[in-house]
This record gives sequence, structure tokens and C-alpha cells, in this order.
Amino acid sequence: MATLEELGEAYAEWRGRSNGNPRLTKMVRGWDRVIQFRTTDNGLGFSMRVENQQLSELDTGPIEECDVVVTGTSEDFCDMFWGDLNPSEKYMSGEITLQGSQEDVMRIDAISMVAFLDA
Amino acid sequence: MTDAAASLAPRASLRRALGLRTVVTTSTGLAFAALEYLAAAGLVTYVAGDSAYIPIIVAGALALLAYGFFGELNGMFPTAAAVRLYMQRAMDDRVALTITFTYMSTIVLVIASDAFIVGSALAHAFGEPAWVAAIWIVGLLAVAVVCNLRGITVAGLLQDLATSVVVLATLAIGLLALVRSGHGLHTPFAPLHGHSAGDLFEAIALGVFLYSAFEWVTTSAEEVRKPESIQRGMLIAIGILCVVCCVATVAMSHTLTHHELTSAYPQLYLGVAAIGHSGLWVMAAVTAVTALNTFNGGFITASRFIYGTAREGSLPRQLALLNDRAVPWVPVVILGTVSAVVALVVAVTHAWEVLVAVGAALEGMIYAVAGVCAVRLRRRQPDTVRPFRVPALAVLGPIGIVLFGLLALTASVSVDDKFNPAPLVIIVLAGVLSALYVLKVLPGMRAKEAARRAARPRRRPGRPVSEDPLGP
Repeated sequence: MATLEELGEAYAEWRGRSNGNPRLTKMVRGWDRVIQFRTTDNGLGFSMRVENQQLSELDTGPIEECDVVVTGTSEDFCDMFWGDLNPSEKYMSGEITLQGSQEDVMRIDAISMVAFLDA
Repeated sequence: MTDAAASLAPRASLRRALGLRTVVTTSTGLAFAALEYLAAAGLVTYVAGDSAYIPIIVAGALALLAYGFFGELNGMFPTAAAVRLYMQRAMDDRVALTITFTYMSTIVLVIASDAFIVGSALAHAFGEPAWVAAIWIVGLLAVAVVCNLRGITVAGLLQDLATSVVVLATLAIGLLALVRSGHGLHTPFAPLHGHSAGDLFEAIALGVFLYSAFEWVTTSAEEVRKPESIQRGMLIAIGILCVVCCVATVAMSHTLTHHELTSAYPQLYLGVAAIGHSGLWVMAAVTAVTALNTFNGGFITASRFIYGTAREGSLPRQLALLNDRAVPWVPVVILGTVSAVVALVVAVTHAWEVLVAVGAALEGMIYAVAGVCAVRLRRRQPDTVRPFRVPALAVLGPIGIVLFGLLALTASVSVDDKFNPAPLVIIVLAGVLSALYVLKVLPGMRAKEAARRAARPRRRPGRPVSEDPLGP
């Protein structure tokens, strides 16, 4: 199980790569969303915002409304934020589940893919 | 919040979620493609007089069986990737992939046929020569591809409106045509008069096709406000389709000639029979509106599925390339191109009845497969939560599998009331190509991908990754 600190560190890496990627910032133009992550193994919940083509810092406080809910293990989220895990594969095998529109789900997957394309 | 929390953190509510109304219109709209009119007219030729409603009601009962299979499977796997998940768990992954790829060809068929039918209907309505339909076909598909590449999708409300217009206009035109014909029904209770039992079976196969694609709404399972809306929505959609198709087919059998029934635009003749020349324009407009749902739903469902499968590593990575609007542009362009080629071939060969038969056979096949999955998963995953269960599946399951299998076989060897193996040849060819890809190409591709990933250093510092790390 990954701790909240580990997840925060991993997310910071993801955020840094995403916000510094010109192609990705173009891809999320006009796509302002709130995404909640929930872990199945240790009951954590945290959220991120995409606003003005930038990913926000990780918010560990409770939220009432969001556009997409992503549910998976803390380890999978950690690996995904580090770019070591392909979330699509976990999604296609049912280990990561989502709630939200297909288009929003596509954008999240796009972030996870494009952020690490040049690495 | 602590790491030791035993249960899941509270889930925030979704800002945008689909309600029951949109689920119903999505399910109905996906089934009610322009091809519906041709299948309905084709069905009429297999039964006597005005008894076409009988195979439609029988097919409706079978669609309820399919609804049960999909309802149970979707309840277990409420995700857009459900088809992959339940097939993978119910059978060998290679078989599951082969079937899935073959099934995906139905979407290409529906897109192609809608382009062909709308193009032909518009060319006829404008009084243009038949070859102009080819320009309409290419133009319509080009617009659909460009809209998809720009990330333009039909919003829920517009989709609700479009489906309502199509369904209500078809119902009204059908009823008016019946009323205006001014005479009683011909042999409404004797479908076999002058026909064989085999004809009736074929009519039922086409009837099942009239409901087909209602189940595609299960790919919206992640977007709904209440999970049970998917099951309820599918059930209501089957009811709506049954009523509209019964009225439309009886009206067609009652008012159209054999030449009109076997044309590429019987719905236009039905419009004329109902309200005169203005009916032609009404039905031409309605036909064009059906394409809105088909192109929107078809392109999104197929391209996103191809993208997901490519990201998963089961299709070439090029199919997961995204444009600046996060649209998988390669699958969209390929779908548009293949659909255009198929539609143009159909326009040149006038083989739309083959297309209808292929679609009917493939749908029968996938309904049988859904039955197999539902039955096998009851044994393999008995403890998995099932919000919806098919009652007496041990009995209804095998019955459904056999019936859908037989309907698929019947539809695949019969075109326009005559023996014709062309649909079967097309399906077998698609199946063989899918199997060859899965058995011969995919293992090598997966091995290369595994080697590429193994060669790449881990990014996560400090501790090992959870399991088989897969880079993006």
C-alpha cells in the first residue's frame, strides 16, 4: 500500500510533467474538470483540478462534486503517477474503475500517456 | 483522513450524469439506424399479408432474453470495457478477442449502411441521378470524420430530441399510411400463407436485427446517475422499438409495392403513402436525423474501443495516437474510410440486403455469445455481485444460445427470401482474419511490447512497483 505522502510525491511528478508539456496543455484547453481518486486498499480519497490548462496541487480534503471518479489501489495510482503503469490496461482488466463521461475518461488517459511520451 | 481507513473514502457526486431519459433515447437511437427501415421492409417480404408484426413481437420476446443476458453482464461489469471483461473471464482470451473484433465489424456495417441509405434517400428526394448518392455518402462520412476529429459530439439533450423526432415521426407516418389506405388488413393472422416456416424463421432473424444495438448503451454505464438506469432504459427501449417497428412494417406491407419494399429507401415511399409528396421530405429529413445518432454513437464507441484495445497492447500502438483534442484520430480516419468504401461498394452493387443479413447474423451471434458468457460466469464467478439476475438462467440461457445461434445461421445464408451464402462468407472471412491476427500477429506484438517495457528503467524511486509495471 502506498501512503498519502508517497501518492503526493508521485502526483507532484505527474503534475510537473503534465504542466510542463506544451502538447498536453494544448490537449486540455477548455477542459476544466475536477477528478476524484479513491483507493480501494487503504480508503484514501484525494482530488485534482484541471483549470486553465494546468493541473492543480493534490487536494486531500473532501469534495462534494466532481466530473470523474477514479477508483483503484494506492499502489496502482502511485505507479500511474510515476508513469510506470498503463492505466488503460488496468482499466481494461477491471482493476481501475471509472465514473464519468467517456470523453473525460479519454482526457485523463491522454494525460497519463502524453506526460511520459518523451521520457 | 488516515491511511488506515478501512472503507472507501466518500464518493463525490458527479456534476454531469445521464438520467433514465437519455439512457432510453440512447438505447433506442442506437438501434433505430436508417438500416432499420430496410430491415423492416425486408422482413415484410418473408411473411404473408400484414402479419409482419408477428415476427417482430416474437423477436421482441427474444430481445428480452438478450436484454437479460446483457443486463446481468453489465451489472457485474458496469464499464465501457464490459465486453472485454466478461468475454475474457468467460472464455479463452484469444477466442474472446476474435469474437470482439468480428463483432466490431457490425459498427462499420451500420455506419456504412446509414451513409448509403441517407445518401440514396437524399439523392432520390432531390430528384438527382443515383450516382449522386455516392457524393452524398462521401460527403456525409467526411463531415462525420471531421466532427469526430474536432471532438464535436452530440450532447445528451440533442440526442434525446433527435431520437424522439425519429421515433415519433416514423410512428405517425406509419399510422397515417394505414389510416389513409382506407381498407382492412390482409391476412393479419396468417404469416405462413404462401410462405414456409423457414421464411418465418428468417423474418424473426430480421426482427431481432430491428432491436439490435439497443445493448450498446451499456457502454454508458460509467456515466449514469443510477446504475439501474441502464437495465430499465434498455427495457423501455425494447418496448418502444417493438411498437414503432410493428406499426411501420404493417404500414409498409399494407401500402407499398414489392418494388418499393425492395428499394434502398422504402421509408420515403411510406412517407408519400401517408401524407403525399411532403411525406417524402419528412422521411428524408428523418432518415438524415438517424445518421446523427449512428455516426455519433458508432464513431465514438468503435474508435474509443479500438483506442482502449491498442493501449492495452492488443492492437498496434499507432491506433492509440491522439490528436490535440485528445481524439484517437487513426481509428476515426480508418473507420470513416472503411465505411465509405463499404457504402460505395453497396451503392454500386445494390447489395444492401446482404448488408442487412450480415448485420442480422452478427447480432444473433453476439446475443448467443452473451448468453454463453452469462451462463459460464454463473459457474466461474458465482460470488460476484449481480445487481440484476436473469431468472431461471439455467433453462433460459441454453434456450437463448441455441435460438440466437440458429437465427444467426439462418440470416447468414438467406438474402431477399432466397438461399444466398454471401453473408456467411463475409462473416467467416471477418472471423478468419480476426483469428489470424489474434493467433499469428498478436503474440509477437505482445512479446515486443513486453521487451520494450522491461528494458525501460522504473521511474518510481525507492520501492518496487506493485506488479508487472506497464509503461504508457
